Amino acid sequence: MPVEIPVEKWPGRVVEETIGATAAEGGTRSRVVKVGGENTLPFMFTDGEMPNPPRVAIEILDRRPKDWSPLLLEAWGDVVDDPAKWAKAAEEAGADLVLLQLSLTRDGDKPTTAADARAITRAVLQATGLPILVFGPGQVDADNELLVAVAEEAAGERIVLGICEEKNYRTIVAAALANGHLVNGRTAMDVNLAKQLNILIADMGLPLDRIIMDPTTASLGYGIEYGYSVMERLRLAALQGDRMTQLPMLVTPGFEAWRQKEAKVGEGVPASWGDWRQRAVLWETLTATNLILAGADIVVLRHPETVKRVKAYIDRMMAK
Amino acid sequence: MATVVFRPAGKRVEVPPGTLLSDAARMAGVEVLMPCGGQGRCGRCAVVVESGSVRRRSTQRLTPDDIAAGYALACQTLVESDVVVLVPPQERIERRIKETKRAAKIELPFPYDRHDQPLRKFAVTLEPPSLADQTDDWSRLQREMARRYGIRDLQASLPLLRKLPRALREGDWTVTAVVELDSWDRPEGPPRLIDVLPGERLESLWAVAIDIGTTSNVVWLVDLIRGQVMAQAADYNGQIARGEDVISRIIYASKGNGLQELQELVMGTLNRLIAQVAAEQNIRPDEIYKATVAGNTTMIHLFAGIPPESIRLMPFIPVVNHLPTFPAREVGLGIHPEGTVDCLPGIASYVGADITAGVLSSGLCDSNELTLFIDVGTNGEMVLGDCTWLISCACSAGPAFEGAGVVHGMRATAGAIEEVWIHPETYEAAYKVIGDERPRGICGSGLISLLAEMFITGVVDKSGNINLDLPTKRVRRGEHGPEYVVAWADETATGRDIVITAVDIDNLMRAKAAIYAGFSVLARSVGLTLQDVQRVLIGGAFGQYINVEKAIQIGMLPDMPYDRFHFLGNTSVRGAYYALVSREMRRRVTEVGRMMTYLELSADNTFFDEFNAALFLPHTDLSQFPSVAALMER
Repeated sequence: MPVEIPVEKWPGRVVEETIGATAAEGGTRSRVVKVGGENTLPFMFTDGEMPNPPRVAIEILDRRPKDWSPLLLEAWGDVVDDPAKWAKAAEEAGADLVLLQLSLTRDGDKPTTAADARAITRAVLQATGLPILVFGPGQVDADNELLVAVAEEAAGERIVLGICEEKNYRTIVAAALANGHLVNGRTAMDVNLAKQLNILIADMGLPLDRIIMDPTTASLGYGIEYGYSVMERLRLAALQGDRMTQLPMLVTPGFEAWRQKEAKVGEGVPASWGDWRQRAVLWETLTATNLILAGADIVVLRHPETVKRVKAYIDRMMAK
Repeated sequence: MATVVFRPAGKRVEVPPGTLLSDAARMAGVEVLMPCGGQGRCGRCAVVVESGSVRRRSTQRLTPDDIAAGYALACQTLVESDVVVLVPPQERIERRIKETKRAAKIELPFPYDRHDQPLRKFAVTLEPPSLADQTDDWSRLQREMARRYGIRDLQASLPLLRKLPRALREGDWTVTAVVELDSWDRPEGPPRLIDVLPGERLESLWAVAIDIGTTSNVVWLVDLIRGQVMAQAADYNGQIARGEDVISRIIYASKGNGLQELQELVMGTLNRLIAQVAAEQNIRPDEIYKATVAGNTTMIHLFAGIPPESIRLMPFIPVVNHLPTFPAREVGLGIHPEGTVDCLPGIASYVGADITAGVLSSGLCDSNELTLFIDVGTNGEMVLGDCTWLISCACSAGPAFEGAGVVHGMRATAGAIEEVWIHPETYEAAYKVIGDERPRGICGSGLISLLAEMFITGVVDKSGNINLDLPTKRVRRGEHGPEYVVAWADETATGRDIVITAVDIDNLMRAKAAIYAGFSVLARSVGLTLQDVQRVLIGGAFGQYINVEKAIQIGMLPDMPYDRFHFLGNTSVRGAYYALVSREMRRRVTEVGRMMTYLELSADNTFFDEFNAALFLPHTDLSQFPSVAALMER
């Protein structure tokens, strides 16, 4: 008996955004990465189209990470001491994008200066041909100072600057406006708060196709259901035509999964949890794939093995 | 060219037809204040066109009577011919604008029947006792009351019997008996003798209607012979010193002698007010024989000396929603000690007798139109419905609109800034102060007005963040983070800058969001939208000063035509008054109590969503505020 699959037609569509610029577009990237553009829930190809697959960004730091799991340090080896080498390794590991996370301090605990931020950004741009995202240390004054310098240094490269928050977005958005970049905004797991920040950023004159939103998520086992539900509601609102929610979503399953003890540590946990290496990578992978099913357009990951698995998963899901 | 003459200055200027009066004034060197920057929003540039022809582009803030009298907004009015314009003194304009916001007068919307009252006065003349008739005084009075008025089984207290022999003999066996035939909780009687006065004293019969607000207490003195309010008095609740809001009072009451102290404090305030209205009518307080009391549930508990702790604790249950009738002496209320006290029925811990009283007196329970009733006080209580159904909820708006929790906040008394205008290009502030004094602070209506102006002119973004990049000294980084200077130190009564800080704005945003979220949840809970609401009735002392336009701009009140909003002043004391003078009204208010559904917002999972959605200027969903959207387009 033939089964008729019900088809859901949505009036709305997620904005398609381009990250990075090639020489032809005034940048130096070897290629650009497009995100968003879907007019359906993830992978529902009977309902609509998903012109771009979910993208994988690898998070790198500007200095050797202090509190990362030994598994991550082991996986990356010595490159963690040099952001340029790390960026190159990330590209080789299969990343679509490289996310450079700036720290508050440099070696010897000196504050990171604008000049440091420029030099690191320049080195990363030279080391990889991938489009990049650069996030500040997450402290208002430092973010504003460093990201303005980064934006100027990377002018024309169409990078993503982050992270805009409701109490601190003006300077970052102004820097993006002045230098042709995109911004990433983060809000605390709430549909309305996410929408509000998008409005505030758009009110400054930044076009919607240069705004990415991070609705904040949680790791598997630590409230992922709540984050999932918020993302799903945001996406449903977008598909129903609510313009200010029609932005690609970026989430950070790497950060979320690797701060939980299931992934982070191998000692002092029940033996029944099984092999640490496998568990850790699975924890990050499952967190990421769940969030992709909730509508994530960019997942930021940490372990190269996770990247491999998540990319394979995306490939299988995209096969029609 | 047209000639424009400005009186009383007598200056004249030639302008092409189509010139704005405000431009003509500037050319003539006549100063017309335009605090809103000539956008036709503040109404302060109103002038009188005495002769000639003009075209009014906008008449916002002018009533039809004003326009008939020739008033026109200088910044919105174009010269069409030779005209003579009178520029009135500023203070006259202010008073005129204020007039339109006055609360309704005290009239009964139903006929008063002085014979159909439970509290009555009866004059009786007794046969003097003799050796032939040795009936005791009390039985003699009882016998005569039964014979003459059919009042059987009259009861009396011991203190009254102690008074009886003297009254009988002083009045030469003619006395006036003050009798309560029945009461709210004893509709069948028996009749109770409350007082006995020598001689015939039928000219008046006094009672009081009382509203015990968390912030203000109000007493209306009523003559039950005429059914009219003869005197009114109001003052701050003496409990304020022990906590600004109901929660802090409840906590205070639970410690040591706190309950007794709070009861004595409110009784002190009420008794002072009673003495004041009594003095105004030249009577003694013990000539007042009845009190009807409305107030929120916590206030009623404290008034009656009932421990209120459970109101604050899950699952938020009061001790009693409808108190039985009790004599005044049991609580120390300063009317006649045998006088009876009726408290109106409440619904729940946070929707009290003040709200049932408000629903009664506002006519909501008789309305055929879908009506939203709001009482904006320290707590925001709201009721949605019509004559067939009612649903209510309460949201904790916090005391921001009462001036608390805001650095330069104050209550709406002399010296309070009650309205603010910000110039859209210079970001300069102009303001109006209650009592035409130097400003000391900003009251609730001033805060609403200020936030609206800051939003419309871009001093804050839609999240309420102050934009520190603006080219004005008024925005700056202060002790409490970013702030905006409303009045410079040399303009104020305190000699300090009056500012609004980022923290103040957050508090205001939360207060307005809580109120609007309450509306949204209430409407949604019955499957309606706020656009379905045909009338909005605003009660509460603070309510009457809210500028609807500004309150809509910040998204505190739903966006609908201004004529759907009605200000009723203190609806609680009015409800107490209605219940005091009418059996029908007492029946209705009991019915209101029974028919009203109470929605506990802490148990409603949509409130938080609605709250976050409303935590934006005017709202995350701009389509709910079309008039504000249109204003933003401009």
